[in-house]
Amino acid sequence: MRVWLRLCACLFGATAILLAGGVAKAQQPIRIGVLLPLTGPFAKNGIENWEAMQIARDMINERGGVNGRKIEFVQGDATSPNAAISETERIITKDGIKITTGSFASPLAIAVSQAAERHGVFHWETTGAAEIITRRGFKHTFQVGAPARKYGQAAVDFVIEDVAKRLKKPASDLRLALLWENRAFGKSVGDGIRAYTGIKKIKLVYDEGYDQFATDMTPIVQKLKDEKPDVLIAISFPNDAILFQRKAKELDFNVAAFIGVSAGYSSPDLRNSIGDMVNGLFVADFPPKVNPNVLKPDVRKVADEFYKRYEDKMKRPPAGHAAAGFSAVWALFTEVLPKGKTFEPDELREIALMLDLPEGSLVNGSGIKFTNFDWPDDPKDAGQNLRASIGVWQWTKSGNDQVFPPKLATHEAAMVPLPVWSKR
Amino acid sequence: MSIEPLAPPKKPKRLPVLPQRGKLSMFEIALFVACLVLIAVELSQNLRDVMVLTFLFAGLGLAWNIAGGYAGLISFGHAAFFGIGAYTSTILFVSAGLTPWIGLWCGGVLAAAAGALLALICARLRGPFFILSTLAAAEVVRIGALNWSSLTGGPEGLSILPVANVANMVFVSKTAYAVLMLAYVVFVYAITKALEGSRYGYYLFAVRDDEEAASAAGVNPLLVRTAAMGLSAFLTGIGGSLFAQYFLYLDPTFVISPELSFQFALLPAVGGLGTAIGPVLGSFLITPLSELLRSYLGNAAAGLHLVIYSAGLIVVMLYFPGGLAAALNRLGRGWKRKP
Amino acid sequence: MTTLGQLVISGILIGGIYALMSIGLTLIFGVLRIVNFAHGEFLMLAMYGAWAVTTLLGFNPYVAVLAIVPAMFLFGGIVYRIIISPGLDKPHLVVVFATMGLSIFLQNVALMMMTADLWDVPPIFSHAVIVGALRFKAELLLGFLITILCTVGLQWVIRATYLGKAIRATVQDGEAAMLMGIPVPRIFLITFAGGSALVGLAACVMMPLFSVFPTVGLNFVLIAFVVVVLGGMGSIEGALIGGICIGVVQSLSSYYVAPAFGQMFFFILFLLVMIFRPNGILGQKGAATIGIND
Repeated sequence: MRVWLRLCACLFGATAILLAGGVAKAQQPIRIGVLLPLTGPFAKNGIENWEAMQIARDMINERGGVNGRKIEFVQGDATSPNAAISETERIITKDGIKITTGSFASPLAIAVSQAAERHGVFHWETTGAAEIITRRGFKHTFQVGAPARKYGQAAVDFVIEDVAKRLKKPASDLRLALLWENRAFGKSVGDGIRAYTGIKKIKLVYDEGYDQFATDMTPIVQKLKDEKPDVLIAISFPNDAILFQRKAKELDFNVAAFIGVSAGYSSPDLRNSIGDMVNGLFVADFPPKVNPNVLKPDVRKVADEFYKRYEDKMKRPPAGHAAAGFSAVWALFTEVLPKGKTFEPDELREIALMLDLPEGSLVNGSGIKFTNFDWPDDPKDAGQNLRASIGVWQWTKSGNDQVFPPKLATHEAAMVPLPVWSKR
Repeated sequence: MSIEPLAPPKKPKRLPVLPQRGKLSMFEIALFVACLVLIAVELSQNLRDVMVLTFLFAGLGLAWNIAGGYAGLISFGHAAFFGIGAYTSTILFVSAGLTPWIGLWCGGVLAAAAGALLALICARLRGPFFILSTLAAAEVVRIGALNWSSLTGGPEGLSILPVANVANMVFVSKTAYAVLMLAYVVFVYAITKALEGSRYGYYLFAVRDDEEAASAAGVNPLLVRTAAMGLSAFLTGIGGSLFAQYFLYLDPTFVISPELSFQFALLPAVGGLGTAIGPVLGSFLITPLSELLRSYLGNAAAGLHLVIYSAGLIVVMLYFPGGLAAALNRLGRGWKRKP
Repeated sequence: MTTLGQLVISGILIGGIYALMSIGLTLIFGVLRIVNFAHGEFLMLAMYGAWAVTTLLGFNPYVAVLAIVPAMFLFGGIVYRIIISPGLDKPHLVVVFATMGLSIFLQNVALMMMTADLWDVPPIFSHAVIVGALRFKAELLLGFLITILCTVGLQWVIRATYLGKAIRATVQDGEAAMLMGIPVPRIFLITFAGGSALVGLAACVMMPLFSVFPTVGLNFVLIAFVVVVLGGMGSIEGALIGGICIGVVQSLSSYYVAPAFGQMFFFILFLLVMIFRPNGILGQKGAATIGIND
């Protein structure tokens, strides 16, 4: 009898241990490398993105994780392209990471994906935009955000379809000026706009790039003033955006519509820095918040939760890139990973290529459909999401309103033409 | 600093223990063997990465040392030569299909020409004037590379497709890179050693320590300086090509950055200026330290690893001015004195 | 014509700002014969200080001068004691790397404490000054006037006071000055602290014009180096001329060539001056070719 009891106890114990082991195995977390600039010149945006991604991680883990497995982040500080490569190498080789995401800025995205591809690691780029990211023939790099050309196209389409009408001029008569900051993103968007305006037969009356360390904007603003454009599209980083706006006021340079592209003009800090001077400026970027009617009902719920959590944590609404960061990793957690079994990069690649999500499937209004060397416009392109939404929103007195494209818009564009400085 | 008196020629019965000018020592051989062992043993990929960088920067520090340590040309523009080397081999490879095994020599030669030109431009400048002029020259090259985008890819940079192939000098295993970088170190080290013992080496010391006396003795300081800068730039350019083959991505903002120039000068300064072993010791200390600090503290708080690193740097610079090489010598002397 | 006038005037005014932030550097450069590679970070620190005084206490940034200048004097003195003074008798590279280490240190301490956010103070004057067709910010004009005052005042100190005489004697021949009973180490301390205090002044003038963030020093430090060497090491009125040169060259080249090359032209100008007039526009004769500390 005793022997039996003991035997039973042993068996029971062994089963318990086995079961516990089995459960533990099933609950082993999925580890994802997050490469963002947490120090250096991009740190501000990197940290905002990191907060947004952490919210996504917490939300998915509270919902029980991915097929019962929790998500765990391993962080890398991608300050510069070089650090991005080292850090990516580190988290891949030291921590055995097979999935990476990030990385906010284009030069960092180029670097991170380069290192990831070398190790055959699956890289899910959230916001990097330079065209070259998906044109190097990489197999495991997926760019969920929009390519640089799309930012430019959104800005130019907005000018043609909306601004021109409000100014009561045919689009071809508009004097359009283009100013870009000479870094990967600025140049890439600038190239895209130049090509697109060429197709649309609109002449650029001004087209210049400037160095990231520019401390005096006088020559740029003066030259623009001499060219008298109706509409100016500018791609700037936060510091130069502030310098430019202040100088434009100083020299009384007026345009009928000003469209900033992403980065500097979409950062919520801009209002802290230049105050009411932001009112009326347009921004072509990832939408920070879209018209909820375009979202699928379940996505709308996720969106509400995200915006609430972000505002509670950061005391302000997320910028477009932070919302895009959240949207992209949320799609990774809910659309890609649940279909995986081995979580090996090749398997994830197959899943990603199968994705066919209509617009409105992601929190920021995007859908997902990746290119795979099959896109007629550019057959070299692989892993570029063609359904990322880029819209135009406008700084208003109290916040910002999505104004373009009409489908995503929550408001009509206002303040066109933009009042001259003495009346703002 | 002064010229060491020429030792009377005597046949060494055995190798000296510690590094000496122009001679091979047991310490150097032991260090080389240790490097080989490090390459051979099983290490995590992460440590391998640190090792590759340590070797690469040791070689670059040695290359800088020829100008900065031996000729007294404290250059803060070596990133320009590094960038010229890296871009030359990469452009030749990407657009003309020339294997980097040949391209790196082309890069070296171009960098050498740039180095000689810079030495001529700055021929009359000394001290901070020389430092700042080299810094400015490198900035000119950086802005040039940033704007000449049809050649360099501009701010979007240049990528080399990561397809492993010996002919393309692209490898999967980090061990291969470690061997490659170690070969680079040995190459630069051998040149440095040969330089130390040669007639030209003595010209260099003479010009560095007392230019007037040297030129009175019939040495042409300008020629000696230009040649030293050219040689240093040549070796730095080769290092640039190797870097490009390891990272497979070039971007002017990093490859030609002042930070990189400082890094090249820092390693010999920490290790011991004007000694062959100095830059090697400097890199063996600094490179792993900065990489490991970042990987272990990078997650703790943004910027913390750099705070610690820079505080350490200040202390080392102020309290170990002769560098690790001098400390090593002191240690050796103390050890000899004991019975 | 208006365009040219505007470019030149704006160039001169911004050049005044460049000069103001470089005077401290040139003073230290001229007397101690060292390059402070942490100069940009001193500026960054002082700008944070000016921002804090302005935003938290509600003062005008020009009033903040009263707090920031003494604070930076003290800070300069401490840095001199801890970092500069122990390195002075060592090879030149020691101070170069020690200050460079300090620069990385301060940048990252600022990052840890202030995050990477941009901070600004609201503009002081709501309207630009308009002269005919020319326009410029009143803050810029005020900054330029402060630069002129500062240059003249500093000249007076150097020419007419005992301290100034002691400084000049130290510059001419440190050993002889020591023999004459001039406390050279103290002169060094005062100069370094004074140079840092001038950075504090520059920071208060710049705060209404520029945003402050941990790496803001990088945007200005190379300009400061160029200004100092261009004007001539240790020459205060040289710094003013150098600053204006840089401002105008930058303004004109960006307009007539391309803004992407903005800084390239003044680096080329700098190299040309180094080749043909290595002592700078108003520098000490032979300074560039003798070298220092050896």
